Amino acid sequence: MTTVLKYFRLWVKLTMNSFLSVLSSRLSAGLFLLGKSLRFIFFGIFLWALFAKVTHIAEYSFLQALFFYLTFNFIDTVTQLFFREVYRFRQLVVSGDFDLVLVKPTNPLFRALAGGADPLDVLMLIPYIGALVYVFLQLKGVTMWGVSSYVLLVTNGLVIATGFHILVLALAIMTTEVDHAIMIYRDLTSMGRVPVDIYQEPLRGIITFVIPIGIMMTFPAKALFGLLTPGMVALAVIVGVGFLVVCLRLWRFALTQYASASS
Amino acid sequence: MKLAIQIIKNTWEEYMMYRLSFVLWRVRSVMQLVVTYFLWWAIFSQHTELFGYTQSMMLTYILLGAIVRPLVMGTRTQEVGGMINDGSLSNYLIRPMNIFRFFFSRDIGDKTLNILFAVVEIALLLFFLRPPIFLQANGLILFFTAVSLLIGMMIFFYFSLLLSFLGFWSPDVWAPRFLSFVLAEFFTGILFPLDILPAPLFLLSKLLPFSYFIYFPLKVYLGQLQMSSILIGIFVGFLWIGGMKFLASLFWKKGLRVYAAEGR
Repeated sequence: MTTVLKYFRLWVKLTMNSFLSVLSSRLSAGLFLLGKSLRFIFFGIFLWALFAKVTHIAEYSFLQALFFYLTFNFIDTVTQLFFREVYRFRQLVVSGDFDLVLVKPTNPLFRALAGGADPLDVLMLIPYIGALVYVFLQLKGVTMWGVSSYVLLVTNGLVIATGFHILVLALAIMTTEVDHAIMIYRDLTSMGRVPVDIYQEPLRGIITFVIPIGIMMTFPAKALFGLLTPGMVALAVIVGVGFLVVCLRLWRFALTQYASASS
Repeated sequence: MKLAIQIIKNTWEEYMMYRLSFVLWRVRSVMQLVVTYFLWWAIFSQHTELFGYTQSMMLTYILLGAIVRPLVMGTRTQEVGGMINDGSLSNYLIRPMNIFRFFFSRDIGDKTLNILFAVVEIALLLFFLRPPIFLQANGLILFFTAVSLLIGMMIFFYFSLLLSFLGFWSPDVWAPRFLSFVLAEFFTGILFPLDILPAPLFLLSKLLPFSYFIYFPLKVYLGQLQMSSILIGIFVGFLWIGGMKFLASLFWKKGLRVYAAEGR
């Protein structure tokens, strides 16, 4: 309990520093916020324009497609909110400054992963959650089982996202040549902006079970619509937890490969 | 010309220094394309014609968009903002060359390498997915497509430089560029042809230069524009080039007056 409290206090401190850093340039923060808002609105307009002409895409109605998109945004933004530090990690490695993290009496993974939340994502979460709740209330035929499994699978999605971020950190240590692994993760997850059912096999299978984007982004909404059996929900959780365990092991291995270059 | 070729070669060599990074960059491009392609493929699996497009026209639009994008929007000018901020621009100012031509040559290096990869990627996608593709055989239309691509390239070049020149007055060059990415992603028509948008938004898109980056050249290629619309579009495109060039030159001149080579 004391350890949890210690890390919570540390996270609050790092987050306050991050907030001060981001808000030191208000114009820049404002432009980023505007950009993020527009990106969200634009894709919504695109979906709306599409559904003005078609009633269903891959068996999903407009409200369902919107719910998929909003769930994607929620998971993506919560992840970015907590793990923004990952975007700056490679620089720590190539400059050798990661040494300074390693000598501190804290878990280096905690510092590298959650070393400061992004205030802009906190602001963005407000409309996302509002829209998610609004669309949820418009959906018909939702059951308690659907809601419970949705919450469970969103949590599972966040676990998978954590795994992906740990993987990116491990890659940054093991191969300094990759300078945009995190952006590859972003592009991969963007495949979940729409239900993965639209993709052809074998791509659909790969992004569902091999690279579990489908489990992370599509499964929660599918569970809410009653399209997943309890067995599939259980399998999704097993894949999620298993993925995190593998990523943690990879991180531990990566730490042994750290060469403290340029320090 | 020799200088330009050497700059292009140097740009290629820079990319080849970080081969894995470049390959992964291309993987990212393919992933972005795959999302859009399959979305439209799923939509057209239930319709033969939608928004005035047949399946082959829409899939051609999306696949060709993946080649047009690096051709028009492939650039290294985003580095200029950083060069201004860290003072390394000074290294280029003292060289006996036109700095705009230097940046443009680097852009050509970027475009050629990315297009080479994009063509191979599209060929592989065509081989595996075998989508119905619309091939334009009208020579005049192909000529106007080439002209509109050149217009798009020039507008984008000056537009991107303009964004970087903001670095003369502010260290925050990334935020305006991020905003421009978001606007461009929507208003260039990379995700969808702009004419599927509601009328007011489509009108707005026509008032912005972004439609020249992807939408206009592809609409010309698909033969969906009347000759008068093509000619008017090309005329307005030249006006955009003139306007952007004027602004970029103005920003450059005014910027150099306040440039202090900080960090050097």
